[in-house]
Amino acid sequence: MTSLQSPLLAGAFALYLFSVVLYLLHVWLRRPLLWRGAFILVLAGFALQTFILGQRWAEAGYLPVTNLFSTQLFFSWALAAIYVYFELRYRIHAAGLFVMVLNLLLLGSALPRDPAIPPLIPSLDTPLFTFHIAFSFTGYAFFTMAFSLGALYLVQRRLASPLLPDLTLLRKVNEESIFLGFCLFTLCLIMGSIWAYIAWGYYFSWNIKGLWSFLVWLFYAGMCHAKFIRRWQGTGYAILSIAGFGVVLFTYLGIGLLLESNHPLN
Amino acid sequence: MLTRIWKFLCSLKVAVFLASAATLLLMGGSLVMHYHPRIFGGMDHMLLGDWFAGMGNRNLEIAWWLPTAGVLLALLGVNALCCFIDWLFSLRARWRKTGEYLIHLGFVLVLFAYFWGTLSGFRSEGNRLLVGESLPLRDMPGYTLRLDAFEPLFNEKGRPVDMRSTVTLLREGTTLQRQVVKTNSPLIYRDLVVVPGSFGRVAEGFRFFLSGGGGVSLIPGSRTPVAGGFLRVLNFFPDAEKLPDGKAVFRSESLGNPAIELELDRPGFDSWHGWYYLKEGLPFPLVQAGVRLWPTDPVYRLYSVLTVNRDPGAGIALAGALSMFAGVLFAMASFYYKRSRGERPDVL
Repeated sequence: MTSLQSPLLAGAFALYLFSVVLYLLHVWLRRPLLWRGAFILVLAGFALQTFILGQRWAEAGYLPVTNLFSTQLFFSWALAAIYVYFELRYRIHAAGLFVMVLNLLLLGSALPRDPAIPPLIPSLDTPLFTFHIAFSFTGYAFFTMAFSLGALYLVQRRLASPLLPDLTLLRKVNEESIFLGFCLFTLCLIMGSIWAYIAWGYYFSWNIKGLWSFLVWLFYAGMCHAKFIRRWQGTGYAILSIAGFGVVLFTYLGIGLLLESNHPLN
Repeated sequence: MLTRIWKFLCSLKVAVFLASAATLLLMGGSLVMHYHPRIFGGMDHMLLGDWFAGMGNRNLEIAWWLPTAGVLLALLGVNALCCFIDWLFSLRARWRKTGEYLIHLGFVLVLFAYFWGTLSGFRSEGNRLLVGESLPLRDMPGYTLRLDAFEPLFNEKGRPVDMRSTVTLLREGTTLQRQVVKTNSPLIYRDLVVVPGSFGRVAEGFRFFLSGGGGVSLIPGSRTPVAGGFLRVLNFFPDAEKLPDGKAVFRSESLGNPAIELELDRPGFDSWHGWYYLKEGLPFPLVQAGVRLWPTDPVYRLYSVLTVNRDPGAGIALAGALSMFAGVLFAMASFYYKRSRGERPDVL
């Protein structure tokens, strides 16, 4: 079954790629059929990715999120799930283009990597780890969605395009993304801290990854408050969403790839 | 005046300012940490308070951000606590904000617990225990930790995958708790936690081929029948230094110049006592007595390395975590409830 994973993943990538093409055509030709087709392709890609993830989970006996490939796969899956949620809930249509391009980048950069599932080391063999990672990447995915919506907010503010959701909806969905991301990331930190305590005897590590995870939480906690301050609403909030994604990106990839940490990616 | 001070303490803008300032400071500080591993590398191995009193204080020019961030976070904690108290006083009108304020309370508790744990308790790594040995616990008079059994687990490739240390926590000789400590399964007794660190082995004796007797293990305390008498092992040094008078002095635990202190008792003969340096060959009195020994390989004994930490704030931190957990669930439920009613956030 592992040998089938690469073609299936390539299939999911192709579905997302075609959905992006249809979204682009929709931007150009403005035909509702095109965005509907794009969304159907996203649903198909998401279903395929869910199958791959489920199959890998069943094969490994644990949620395989222990190396860069598998975290990228899970991150990409969570991002697609969140986009599907917002599309079904708010009908954000062409706003999906930006999210799906990000998803393509994420999945595309995972494809050349080895999909083999590494053996689980004993300290990771606990449901706390599974919850910690699942909440972490779902939180990251919401922050990525917020980044996309923040960027779109700035675009829409300048272009006032009928293709994009209006500013009020973009702001509302952005706030919801930040809020849900913050909630899930809080759960991630709780699970991670309890796990660290039982595994290493302390719940907060002064490792750079531990510190930046706390910074991600603190940053978005600040954002959850900033939405009540007039100056930070709208454009300010969109800019903060973009800046926050920078913090997330550094915490996820920057530390793992550029610096030494106790959360290695490979 | 008091109302104005209280409003300032509960201020949302103050919260955003403090959170932003702490975030920026810690971002910069984290990079300083990364590029000065000699100074900051030991932060996880001891209490932060102990680390700062020593290493941090000596390098204040690059560690100043740490106490500053601590002050900012403490102020943020005060702000969150004031907001929580303020909310409590208007609970009837603002009950739908329960989730958000439980998160505030949780944050305050975790912060307080961390500061408390930073200034009291202890962290003790690298406690090496052989089976049967006891470790008196630091700053806890009367408390000892005894290793009753130890078993490393290996995978099919021979790589160690886990360590099972059966430990007993005692107070004045009375058992408080006994548990098998392994990965993700610590011994937790109140604010004390014992987790596995690593394991190793020490040579405790040597195996020999005994002419006419096959293989024998000579370890301290053993008594082997030889040449019509008994050979008793009094001591074993894996690496010994030989003094001019032939006596041995312990040098290290690595296998280097092993020496065994022996005593030979034979009926009708004077007993002999001396050191046998394995690299030098059997002492002449043993040869004369007809003892024929050829060393084959060392006899090893495993030891467990345990981490013993005490954090008086751990229980409060857990209470804080539970408060945050409940807060998140409440906040999510109330968020969708409010959204379904079309309510928008208050704007300042």
